[in-house]
Amino acid sequence: MATTSASSRAAAALRSPALVRAVGLATTALYAAFVVWVYTAQPRSLVEMRGGVAASIGVYAVDAVAFDEGVRYFRADKFAEARRAFGRADAAERDPKTQFYIAYTFLRQGWGRFYEDDALYAQGQAALQRALAASSGGVIRVDDDPNLTIKSSDELAEAFARGLKRDVSDLNPLGVLEKRP
Amino acid sequence: MSAAIPRTVWHEAFTLPIAFLSVALLGGLRIDTAGRFGFAPPPLMALVLAVVLVAVLFRAGAIVPAALVHPARPGLANASGLAIVLALGAATAQVIATLTPDGGLLTLVFDVAWLVLFGNTLAARPDRRRLLASLLVIFGAAFVVKYVILSALYAPDSSLMKRAVMALLEGVSLGGLAYQPPGPATGYVAFAAVLLYVGAVAALPQAAASAGATAIVRREATIVDSDRLAD
Repeated sequence: MATTSASSRAAAALRSPALVRAVGLATTALYAAFVVWVYTAQPRSLVEMRGGVAASIGVYAVDAVAFDEGVRYFRADKFAEARRAFGRADAAERDPKTQFYIAYTFLRQGWGRFYEDDALYAQGQAALQRALAASSGGVIRVDDDPNLTIKSSDELAEAFARGLKRDVSDLNPLGVLEKRP
Repeated sequence: MSAAIPRTVWHEAFTLPIAFLSVALLGGLRIDTAGRFGFAPPPLMALVLAVVLVAVLFRAGAIVPAALVHPARPGLANASGLAIVLALGAATAQVIATLTPDGGLLTLVFDVAWLVLFGNTLAARPDRRRLLASLLVIFGAAFVVKYVILSALYAPDSSLMKRAVMALLEGVSLGGLAYQPPGPATGYVAFAAVLLYVGAVAALPQAAASAGATAIVRREATIVDSDRLAD
């Protein structure tokens, strides 16, 4: 009898207008939050939108195989290929580490003993901005790759800023002895 | 024994807020020729015009505040009604924004035209049906001007539509009037948003329903009471 009463109460609750309204309000609030997020995050494609939603609920994951492939290309100094692989790995541009690597590819490709490529450095800065936007703490550290000379987003940002700056230190002949970042 | 939940409850809880929020989302969507998305928040003028248009809807009886928020309604029903009003405001601003050219002198021309048209409608005090018909005409005209005529006139290529429009306008030139036409896909999204908006406004609880709103509230209370008695 008690079971029947409980089940009839549950069935009645499911048919309650108050429940319908409560579920409707919750759905509306979720949808409104999504609309506000879309206008704030400005995704540029459906892939970015899906990735952004997945990242906001903590279920976004990069393609590990493509990421490893990107790291292999990166270590072999095949920077354009590395960026393609990293782009596949993080199609929604939501993973700070992958975006950090993409920024790093621009730094290494644009770095030279006699000059730095401003266009590549500018693209690197943009990638680093994306990485920082995707990170929660406002700083990124990649300590698990011995191949990287620069380990943090702060150092990388400074390397880009130094490369883009024009001053008398550009004429210092000892600059050719600098180690590649 | 529970009675069936009135359709109005489903309508207020799900259909109307979701429809208006969808318009608020789609109204700001801009898709360029490369297929990249952009989401434009409503400009200040669109917010001002939205307030005027909501006032017009109120005066014409298209929106009846008492049917959405009223002391006689339960708290959750009032919360649903408030959500509808807020979503309606956002949708109205975005529907105006999507039908107005983005930037330049044409924006000013459109904004003045909106203000005059809404002011005129407010002064004319149409009933709900006439207002909805009037909105369809106003929005339809704005859509055709922005997404068909202006897009054709400012299209970079010499398309068939551009030649047809130029022939109709007998070679008129807009001179130095700068305008960046939206991508073609934006027009389709705007069309859907405008239709959804007008449909949702038409589906708002009507003046006749406002008298019945109390009855619905009573019916909700009866359902709750009958459930308690059944227990």
